[in-house]
Parts: sequence; C-alpha cells; structure tokens
Amino acid sequence: MPRDASTDKPLVELVSVTKIYPPDIVALEDVSLRIYKGEIFFLTGMSGAGKTTLIKLICRLETPTRGLIEVAGRDLSQISPAGIQRMRQKIGIAYQDFRLLEKQTVLQNIAMAMEVTYASTKAIRARVDELLALLNLSDKRDKLTGELSRGEQQRVALARAAANGPSLLLADEPTGNLDPAATELVINLFRHLNEKNGSTIVVATHDKSIYAETEHRVMDLRNGHLSAHPNRTPRQIELFEA
Amino acid sequence: MHFLAYILRQTGKNLRQTWGTQVMTLLTVTLSVLLFAFFFLIYTNMLRASARLGDDLRLIVYLDQEIPEQKRPEIEKKIRDFGPVEKVVFVSRTEAFSRLSAQLDKEKDVLNDLGPDFLPPSIEVYPLKNLHDLTKISQFSDFLLTLPHAAKVQSGSDWLRRFGDFTSLLQVVVLLSGVLLIISMTFIISYTLRLTVVSRQGELEILRLLGATSAYIRLPLLLEGMLQGFLGSSLGLAALYLLYQWIASRFSGPGFLNLFDFAFFPPELTAAILLAGVVLCTGGSLFSIRRFIRI
Ligand SMILES: Nc1ncnc2c1ncn2[C@@H]1O[C@H](COP(=O)(O)OP(=O)(O)OP(=O)(O)O)[C@@H](O)[C@H]1O
Ligand SMILES: [Mg+2]
Repeated sequence: MPRDASTDKPLVELVSVTKIYPPDIVALEDVSLRIYKGEIFFLTGMSGAGKTTLIKLICRLETPTRGLIEVAGRDLSQISPAGIQRMRQKIGIAYQDFRLLEKQTVLQNIAMAMEVTYASTKAIRARVDELLALLNLSDKRDKLTGELSRGEQQRVALARAAANGPSLLLADEPTGNLDPAATELVINLFRHLNEKNGSTIVVATHDKSIYAETEHRVMDLRNGHLSAHPNRTPRQIELFEA
Repeated sequence: MHFLAYILRQTGKNLRQTWGTQVMTLLTVTLSVLLFAFFFLIYTNMLRASARLGDDLRLIVYLDQEIPEQKRPEIEKKIRDFGPVEKVVFVSRTEAFSRLSAQLDKEKDVLNDLGPDFLPPSIEVYPLKNLHDLTKISQFSDFLLTLPHAAKVQSGSDWLRRFGDFTSLLQVVVLLSGVLLIISMTFIISYTLRLTVVSRQGELEILRLLGATSAYIRLPLLLEGMLQGFLGSSLGLAALYLLYQWIASRFSGPGFLNLFDFAFFPPELTAAILLAGVVLCTGGSLFSIRRFIRI
C-alpha cells in the first residue's frame, strides 16, 4: 500500500548519512532517505554497494560517521543502550548471514525473538507454528538449524524476524538462496505482515524477480550513493518524485 | 508477568550447560565455608571458655602450717590492703581433706591409708573481676608469697596465659581462613560465570541482536552466583554441624568438651555466615558480569 509521502511522518529517516569503515572504506556517502509507515521499500544495488551497511545503521548495529538517523521520530544517537534494546524488540531483522544458532532447533531459534519480550510459551508455540506453515517449514520445527539447507535456514531467519509482528522488518537479501516457489512464500509473508499487521518492510536485494513487477518504491545504491532505480515504472516515478 | 519464569528458566539453562563446573564450584564454596566456619566455631568457643575460666579464677596460697582462727582477720586485712578482693577463704587441713573426699565420692577409699593430715592448709583468694589482667595477677601472686607461712602460690595464670596465646593464634587462623574464603569464593564464582558466559557467547550475541534487555541477560547470571552462595554455604554449615554432632557424641562424658561447654553457633550467627556466603558469591558474579558482558 503506497503512501502519500507529503502528509505521512516517516518511520525511518536518514539525513546526509555517510558511513566510512576504517581505515577509509566509504560504504555510504551523503545518503538521505525517508521510509514511511506501512511502506514496502526495495533497496537494490550491486554487491558491495552498501545495502547491508544501510540496514545495520537503521538498527544501530553500526553508527554513522556523519549524518542523522531517526527511527519513529527519535534520533538514534540520543537513545540509551537500553532504549536501543527495546527498539530492537520491535524491529525484525533477517540477516544476510542468518545469524542462527546452529545447535538449536528451528523452534528454539524463532522462540528466542519472542522470549526476550517475555511472551508466554503458548503464544510462542502458536506463532511459530503459524509462521512455519506460511513458509512451508512445518516439518522442520524440531530440526537443528545447522542441519537445514541454506534455503531453509534463510526462511527460518525470516520467520524469526517476523515473530514479534514487528512494526519494521528489515530483510537483507531474503531470497538469495530460494527457488521461485519459496521466493513466492516469502513475498506472501511480507504482504501478510504489511496488510494484517501494518508492518513497514525494507528489503535489500539484487533479486530482480521480487521487485520487477512491484508498485512499491525501489531505490538503487551505487558506490554508496542512493538514487531511484533506473527501471522504475511510471507509478514509481510519481511516488519517488513526490 | 512471565518475567520471573523466564529468568528462572534461563538460570536453569545456564546451570545445565555447565553443570560439571557448577558442581566443582559448589564443592569449592562448600569447603571454603566449612574451613572458615570450623576455625570460627573453635574460636568462638575458646572465647567463651576463657571468659568462664576468668570467672573461676582464684589464687591459692598453700601454707606450711595451719593459721589459727584468731590470726585470720589480720591476714585477710593485709590481703585486702594490697588489692581489691571479692572474698578470702581459709581452708584448714581437715577442710581440704573432706572436700577432696567429697569430690572423690565413691572412690574415697583410696584416702583411707593417707590420713586426714596429708593435704596442706591454704588460703583461697578470689580477686575482683577487674583484676583479670594477667600482669596484675602475677603481681598479686608475688605479694601473696610474702605472707607468713606461705609456701607456694598457685595462680593458674600460666595456664591462663597459654590459653590466651592459643586464642590469639586462633584469631589469626580465623582471619586468614576468612580472607581465603573471600578470595576463593569470589574468584571461583567469577571464573565459573566466565565459563557460563563463554559457553553461551553465540547465544548472548544473538540475544543482543534480538533486543534482549540487560535484565534478561544479567539477572540469570546474578541468580546463578546467589544460588551457588546459598547452596554452598548451607552445605558447608550443614557439614560442620554434622562434624560437631559426631565429635560431641564421641567425646561425650567428662572431658575436654564438657570442660569448655562446646556449643554450635547460635542461629543468628549461622544465618550471618550464610548471608555472608550469599553476598560474597553474588558480589563475585556481579564483578564478572560487569567485566564480561557488554549489554
Ligand atoms: N565491517 C566492515 N569493515 C570494513 N568494511 C566493510 C565492513 N562492512 C562492509 N564493508 C565494506 O563496505 C562496503 C559496503 O558493504 P555492504 O556489506 O554494505 O554491501 P552490500 O550492498 O550489502 O553487499 P552484498 O550485496 O554483497 O551484501 C563494501 O565495500 C564492504 O567491503
Ligand atoms: Mg549485504
């Protein structure tokens, strides 16, 4: 559901953000960006363009070298460590490298995200079963994640990110290891979260198949600079220029 | 509110993951407490015993000849002039003999051959309580030796001095074992906790990413230290109590223990030692939580 950019307050706002990794690797340069509540936002770009860096900046796993980042109207640099932890409970992040505990089961891995919010065991069970059904992983619930295929691990990572019904979901290359059928499941999960839960979803990807047909915003990172995706549709031009 | 349930479950998980080390830690804490409490128990009993011995303290002047009734007030006055005295008792040969035979009770037959004259007469001097300074007592006994017919003064002060020396030695031992207790407890607890942290490092990192609060991560570790302190101290004290019971039952009847009226710690002191154990272990875990966990 695309939004009218002029009236809505952005959920995520970056103002002239530059990120330089030591010693002098410029990952992002002077990036300004607004992502609105309820949006599905695609971030594209070649390998090394800075997509992961941008996502890490939004959840404060990295700090910007210069510039301002606000999430839900709050300047991240002003939030205490405890505040950041509370914020992370409301942000679901599916990492490019999954970050799963390989010696724990699928259930345990997903449950962890809800346990830190002190959810009840019953609620956790129900939610995990629901998500696994959506991602066609129901029969893997009690398997160790280390014994799953990459594609399966990727979906477990997504399920964990979605577990708390986050107001913001950051998915870093969520379909990199998936076949078209599984990719479809993931897209459906995003849509489900977006429509049922009002979640804002940011997808960093270079998988054209998931954004080619979309009516949502697609932006391209190139050498640390952000611009509208060159192949955007008229609808996207309209949105982007608003 | 599932908070408490989570913290407890997490603590259980930690304990299970490193149970081998946990058992060793528990043993170390138990032994440390046992060692300290053992010396401390002896020390407190010695203190009580020496207080009691002090109460019983008297100076006995053995005489080479009986002092007739009419001369006694004069001698008593001399003694009282020298120093404050609670009471002065003159014991004649016959009195000494009847006292001894009363003490021997059933075995008094052994005295039949000796006759009522074999014990010397004596003067028993009970100094006031404020005279329980050992140097004053020895001055007093030197003076008593100058009385007419005084043959020997038994003050018990030698023995009291040795007893006092032993008590102060014990004081040092108690202090040392206390220091050892503090070091070993905080060290072993923080070491064990570090193991827990290391064994869960991957998990802790993920928890951080998922937004776990510091309470979620730290409280279980704090609870772990507290639990170790409580269990270890309880076991140590329980072991000491069993040891005490065993000794008391083996050495019951007249003897060393009866003489000192050997007793276990009163409940308040037991509780205080337990509390100290808990505080020490909790402190140890706090220390390593602050050192090893960044959240
Ligand atoms: N921790 C780091 N230290 C130093 N340089 C880094 C670090 N992380 C990323 N970089 C560099 O920053 C640039 C952007 O990296 P980033 O991971 O954001 O790219 P990406 O768009 O996610 O790439 P990919 O599509 O391969 O995941 C790259 O040149 C990378 O080498
Ligand atoms: Mg990346």
